[in-house]
Amino acid sequence: MIKELLVFIRLSKKDKRLGSAQGKRHYDLPLNKNIGTGFLIVLIALMTFLVVIAIITSFALESMTNHWSSGLENKVTIEIPAEKNNGSLRTNDEIKALQNKSEEKLKTLHYIKTTKSLSDLDIQDLLSPWLGKNVSLNNIPLPGLISIDLHTNTPEIIQNLKKEMSNINADIKIDTHEAWLGDLLKLAGALQFAAITIALIITITTVTAIAGSIRTRMAVHSEEVELLHLIGAHDSYITRQLQRHAVIIAFKGSLCGLLAALVTLMLIKLLSGEITEVLLPEFQLNAFHALILIAIPALACLIAAMAARFTVLRTLAIMP
Amino acid sequence: MIKFEHVGLRYGIGSEVLSDIDFTLEPGSFHFLTGLSGAGKTSLMSLMYLGRKPTRGLVTMFGQNINQLKRQQLSSLRQRIGVVFQEFRLLSHLSAFDNVALPLRIEGRAENEIQNNVNELLEWVGLGDHKNRLPMTMSGGQQQRISIARAVIARPKLLLADEPTGNLDNEIGFRLMTLFEQLNRMGTTIVIATHNQAIMENFGHPRLILNNGKLEIERPKNWIQKKIEGVF
Ligand SMILES: Nc1ncnc2c1ncn2[C@@H]1O[C@H](COP(=O)(O)OP(=O)(O)O)[C@@H](O)[C@H]1O
Ligand SMILES: [Mg+2]
Repeated sequence: MIKELLVFIRLSKKDKRLGSAQGKRHYDLPLNKNIGTGFLIVLIALMTFLVVIAIITSFALESMTNHWSSGLENKVTIEIPAEKNNGSLRTNDEIKALQNKSEEKLKTLHYIKTTKSLSDLDIQDLLSPWLGKNVSLNNIPLPGLISIDLHTNTPEIIQNLKKEMSNINADIKIDTHEAWLGDLLKLAGALQFAAITIALIITITTVTAIAGSIRTRMAVHSEEVELLHLIGAHDSYITRQLQRHAVIIAFKGSLCGLLAALVTLMLIKLLSGEITEVLLPEFQLNAFHALILIAIPALACLIAAMAARFTVLRTLAIMP
Repeated sequence: MIKFEHVGLRYGIGSEVLSDIDFTLEPGSFHFLTGLSGAGKTSLMSLMYLGRKPTRGLVTMFGQNINQLKRQQLSSLRQRIGVVFQEFRLLSHLSAFDNVALPLRIEGRAENEIQNNVNELLEWVGLGDHKNRLPMTMSGGQQQRISIARAVIARPKLLLADEPTGNLDNEIGFRLMTLFEQLNRMGTTIVIATHNQAIMENFGHPRLILNNGKLEIERPKNWIQKKIEGVF
């Protein structure tokens, strides 16, 4: 990678000494004297910037959803309602008895990793933001709660769990957190889809912009291209020059865009440290992410080269 | 070397600029191409340097029917043809040196070989001191000499020159004709489009005369004798 980079930097330096007689790689076409080269570099940089932001957003969303679902998908809460089916209230002792019985039973089930009965104190903690610290819970009907960690979460296991619990008491409820987690995951999925769509649209726009600019260049240089053709230059000799030119532009632009995007994201992370801490405690660029980010400039170069190649070949095809 | 059979050329939907052109040029021959302005000299040249294809008829170059050649083969044929364009067609952003070097670069020659050959030829056409100048900064005559140097640098088998002495005073014009004669003696087939009676008479090569889209060949009376003098 470093080596390729050096080659590219050397190439782009050479780019400035147009038409010089030294060196193997020289241009016969006055490509770099074109107005619009700088504009194209800025355009590609902006596009790359947006694509990188969109892609990293999508990575972050993915890691966020993984984090949420892995955090919750093996967790189930058993609730012993304070209110019976017929509307009468259970006493605290009744609830405690049911809770203990349920926990005993749960401990015998092989798919359960841990169980934790929430004590009154735990529940008081949970409720204090709403009720205040000093409310005596003895007078308020509170449900009994048992938090369980499963080894794995499958529909069959949940089914079996429900059966076991209803054997103890038909009122006992099982909350798998599916409802709200599902909504959250759907939202995250939609955002991720949007991010990927944006990245795609930007890519298509960039391709069109590069192809259009190359076509303009060909129009500007059609006389020179025709002369090269007439004195016997093979199509490949001519396309190579425009291709190299396009690749250098794309490389410069996309590298700038990539770096700018990474710097921006680091700044965002710095400035909003706490938020990201809560939402994305473990989001780090892994090797796969890094590979995709590096692939963006490479892809930009490839796209530029192809766009240049096809436009040049189409122009040359008119000549006999 | 060149064989045209019933060749016709029209631009767009206009009438034929060239019609029923039939001629054969032997390898090593030297011809003038003449005719009034607008007679079609440049058009005929463009068919010979494979710049366009005829609208009808058969063109054979270097023994090959050009209609049966692939694109790549056509490019390779063009590398064996040197052309001096009527309007020079120099690349404006390249120095005199790089313009002349272009055919060698296209052939992929080594850079030191290019340096030696180009410098030598630029000296020969009297532009040794101007090799780093851009074409726009040079006079018409100097530009013409650059375009002639570019046409001959790769030692073409066929040299086509479209009014190459048009912008030159007679002395340099004759000097360049001597260059063409030398190339011809070394085996290059040469066709020169010209109006210049003095040069045509002095060098006495057979003339292809274009008139109303038709081509006639006229050999000067003392042509055979001149040819013999030239050889011995
Ligand atoms: N590219 C072209 N498109 C249309 N008409 C052309 C073109 N080139 C030449 N002609 C016409 O063909 C005729 C011959 O032109 P040309 O070959 O340049 O003659 P010459 O070189 O003998 O002066 C002229 O009538 C000219 O107007
Ligand atoms: Mg002409």
